[in-house]
Amino acid sequence: MSEKDVSKAEAEEIRIGVYVCHCGLNIAGSVDCAEVAEFASTLPHVVLAKDLRYTCSDQGQEIIKQDIKEHRLNRVVVASCSPRLHEPTFRKVCEEAGLNKYLFEMANIREHCSWVHLYNRKAATEKAKDLVKMAVMRAALLQPAVESEVPIRPEALVIGGGVAGIQAALDLADTGYHVYLVEKEPSIGGRMAQIDKTFPTMDCSICILAPKMSDVGHHPNITLLTYSEILDVKGYIGNFKVKVLKKPRYVTSDCTACGECAKVCPMIAPNEFDVGLAIRHAIYTPFAQAVPSTYVIDRELCLNKEGVIVCDKCTKACERQAINFEMKPEEIELEVGTIIVAIGADVFDPSIIPQYGYGRYPNVITSLEFERLINAGGPSGGKLLRPSDMQIPKTVAFVQCVGSRSEKTGKPYCSNVCCMNTIKDALLIKEHWPETQIYVFYVDIRAFGKGFEDLYRRARKEGVIFIRGLPAEIVEDKQTRDLWLIGENTLQKKLYRIRVGMVILSVGLEPRKETDLIQRLLTLSRSKDGFFMEAHPKLRPVDAATGGIFFAGCAESPKDIKDSVTQASAAAARAGILMAKGKVTVEALTPIWIPEKCQACGLCVKVCPYNAIKLDKERKKIEIIEAACAGCGTCGAECPFGALVMRHFTDEQIIAQIDAATEVDADKKIIAFCCNWCSYAGADFAGVSRIQYPENVRIIRTMCSGRVAPKFVERAFARGAAAVLVSGCHLGDCHYINANYQTKKRVERLWKKMEKAGLNKERLQLVWVSAAEGEKFAAKIREMQPIVESVTPEEIEKAKEVFQKALEL
Amino acid sequence: MPVRIWRKPLDAEKAKPPCGEIHILKDLCKGCGYCIEFCPRDVLEKSEEINKRGVHPPRVADESRCVVCSFCTAVCPDFAIFVIEKPCEGGR
Repeated sequence: MSEKDVSKAEAEEIRIGVYVCHCGLNIAGSVDCAEVAEFASTLPHVVLAKDLRYTCSDQGQEIIKQDIKEHRLNRVVVASCSPRLHEPTFRKVCEEAGLNKYLFEMANIREHCSWVHLYNRKAATEKAKDLVKMAVMRAALLQPAVESEVPIRPEALVIGGGVAGIQAALDLADTGYHVYLVEKEPSIGGRMAQIDKTFPTMDCSICILAPKMSDVGHHPNITLLTYSEILDVKGYIGNFKVKVLKKPRYVTSDCTACGECAKVCPMIAPNEFDVGLAIRHAIYTPFAQAVPSTYVIDRELCLNKEGVIVCDKCTKACERQAINFEMKPEEIELEVGTIIVAIGADVFDPSIIPQYGYGRYPNVITSLEFERLINAGGPSGGKLLRPSDMQIPKTVAFVQCVGSRSEKTGKPYCSNVCCMNTIKDALLIKEHWPETQIYVFYVDIRAFGKGFEDLYRRARKEGVIFIRGLPAEIVEDKQTRDLWLIGENTLQKKLYRIRVGMVILSVGLEPRKETDLIQRLLTLSRSKDGFFMEAHPKLRPVDAATGGIFFAGCAESPKDIKDSVTQASAAAARAGILMAKGKVTVEALTPIWIPEKCQACGLCVKVCPYNAIKLDKERKKIEIIEAACAGCGTCGAECPFGALVMRHFTDEQIIAQIDAATEVDADKKIIAFCCNWCSYAGADFAGVSRIQYPENVRIIRTMCSGRVAPKFVERAFARGAAAVLVSGCHLGDCHYINANYQTKKRVERLWKKMEKAGLNKERLQLVWVSAAEGEKFAAKIREMQPIVESVTPEEIEKAKEVFQKALEL
Repeated sequence: MPVRIWRKPLDAEKAKPPCGEIHILKDLCKGCGYCIEFCPRDVLEKSEEINKRGVHPPRVADESRCVVCSFCTAVCPDFAIFVIEKPCEGGR
C-alpha cells in the first residue's frame, strides 16, 4: 500500500462486521460458534459480531445487508464454509448493500475446521477463533476495487478443419459471427473424411460430413483458409492478433476440379489421404469431396522448381487457365476476439512395437489403413485386399490397444474410440464377406456409449470371436505371408497360436505434433498425456485456462465423432457468450505497478506465465496488460523491490494473516500457504470427505502458490512458527500454466538458506495437492505433526534470529 | 508421431508415369549443355564422345527416369534432341 492509500484508509474509520455461521450443526456440531463470535467482537475494528444459524439463507443475507446500512459497516467477514463455495454469494450481498465486493472476507471454519476436527470441540473452537482473527486482520487492510472491462471483438478463429472445427465454425457463423477457419491441409474434413463408416449407426462417414464441409465452403460468415498455418498469436481475450501463412496452391479459384491436369501430370507420389495406399499426382486434390475443390500443386514433387517452368502439361490441359506457378506465400493478419482450438489427433505409429511387425509384414495394417481399404472410394474400391497378394483374406485378426493403455509405449491412456471402431470394422467385414473368420484380441472391451453395447452384442452374435489377451508376438509365414498370432488367453489361462490372413492393429490416438507449437503460441497447458488441458474437468470442460480460448475435438482428449461435435457446439456456445456480451470483466487481482520502486530489472517479465508484462528497459518502465494477466501473483512474489502490489493479495494483507496466526502459541503451529485452485480445494475436499487431521494448521489462501514470496515463509519463522507448508497444483497442472515452477525454485532456495543457517529444513515442506487429493493434504499435515512436536524452543529462537529481517517488512 | 507412409501404393502399377524414348541427333549438337542442365530428372549427362562439330554431345544416363516433359527439346537451340512417348514396360 502506498502512503497515500494508508492515509486514506486511516481517514476512514474501519468498521468490521463479523458473522459466525452455525451451518446447522455442520459447524456448530464441533465449534462453539457463540464463543467464536464473542471472541471476534474483541478484535480491533470489529463493531459487531453475530452468530447465525444459516448465514447464506435469505434471512442471513438480509441481516448482513441491514447491518451494513445501520452500523455503517465498511468491511464484512463471514466465518462459514469455503470461499470457493459462497464467496460469490456474500460478495453479492455486500454489493447490494452498497459495499464494494472486494471489502468482503471469508474465514473457512467448516471445510478447514469443523469437518476435519469433528472430535475435539475445544481445539476446533480455538482454531476457528484463529481463522476469524486472521480474516479480520486481513479485512482491515482490504481495499475497494473496480473491475476493468475489456472489449471482445465479435470475430472468431477456429484452428483445424476436422469435424470439430467444422461444427464450431458453422455454429458460430450461424449465430452471426464472422469466423476464420484455418486448416493446414489442402482440404477440410480431417480424420472423419478418411473413415469409411461411423459407429454405432454405421452411417457413411463422408456422406454425412460432405454436406457440412460444403456449408463451410459457402457460408457467408466463414472465411476458409486452407493450406494455411498459424505463424504467431499475440494479444489476449477479446483482442487476439493472429498471423497466418497461406501457402500457395498454384491453382486459382477458377479451377473447376475437372481433373484433366492430373491425368497428364507425369509425377506421382503416395497420397497422404489414403495413408499411402494409393497414388496421387503432383497436381492433385486429396479426395473427391474436398473443400475447397480447387486442385493444388505439390511443388516438392512437381518438375517445375523455382524460376524454371520445365513441364507445362497441366497448364496446357487446363481449359480455365487456372494454373499459376507465380503464386507466392501470403502472410495474413487476423484480428479475432475468441479462438477455438480443434487441431485433432494423430494416430499412433505401431512400427515402434517390433513384435507386431508393422512395416515389415505387408499384411499387418493399421485401423486407419483399413478404413481406406474398406472404403468404396478408396484405393481398392472397397475390397479388403491383402497388400502382399491382393487377395481377400479368409481370416482376419484385430489387435486392440496398440499405442493405448500401455506404459511401455508411453501411452498409458485409453484412446476411447478403438474398441467401438474395431467392432464396427468387424461388422463391416461380416457385411461384405460373411464367411470371414474374425478374431478380436483385447484387454477390455469398452462399449460405454449410447448404442455401443448393442453393436458389441451384434458383433458377437454374428460370430466375431473375442479373445482376451493381446498377442505377445506376430510371426509371418514367409511363403503364404499369413500371420501367426501367439499369446495367452487370460480368461482361459491357455496359450493360443492362431493363423490369420491379415492383422489389423487398432492404433490409438496421440496429440498432433503441432500441439507443441499451438501450446506455445496460445500459452496453453497440457495434461501428462500431451493433450490440451481444460480449465476445469467437470464444470469448464471446453474452456482453456487462458481466457477467450476453447477446445473442441481430439485436441483436448481422444473422442469419437459425436463427442467431438458435441464439444464443438459447446465451444462455439462458450465463445459466443463472450462475443455476445461484447466485453469481459477482469477480476481485480492484477498487480499495480509502483514506478518509484521499480528498477526495471525485468524479473517479473521472466516469471509471468502469460507474457502480460512488457519491459521498456530504456525508459525504466513496465507495462501490465490487464486483460492478459490472470492474477497469479508470481510477479509480485518475484519483485525484490516491492514495485508490484498484488491487488486483493497484497504483501500487507498476507502478512497480517501470518501475524494473526502466529500471535499465540506459534511454536505449535503450521502456517500453510495453499493455492486457490488445487491445494486449497484439496484441503476443502478433505473437509467434505471428513478426513481428520491435526488442528495445528492455519491455512492462508493465495490465488497461486507462485504468489508465496520467500519473505512470507521467513516472516512465519521469524514470528516463531514451528513449521511452514507451501502447497500448489501438481507440476505441469498449474492453473497458471507453469507459475508453480517458481514456487519450487523459491522453496528450494529457502531450503538451502535454512541448511546454511543450521536450521532443520524439514520445518519447511512443499507438497503438490490436486483438488481431488484431500487425503494427500491431510496425510501431509499428519506427517508434519512429529516435526512440529520435535521442534525445540532453541530451534524456534534460532529461526527467529535467522529470519529477523523479515519482521521489518 | 504422425502417420508414416511406407507401403508401395496398391495402384502403383496402374498409374505409372509416361516413359520416354530419347533421340539425340549428335552431330547437330553444339555442346551448350542446356539439356543436361535443365533436365528436371537428371536423365542426361555429358559424353566423352566428340561429334562432327568437335564438341561433347549429351548421352542418356538413365532413360527410365524420363517422364517426357520434353523440355530438352524446347530448350535445345539446335533441334538436336527430341523425345517420343513409348509404351511402358515394367516402368520405374
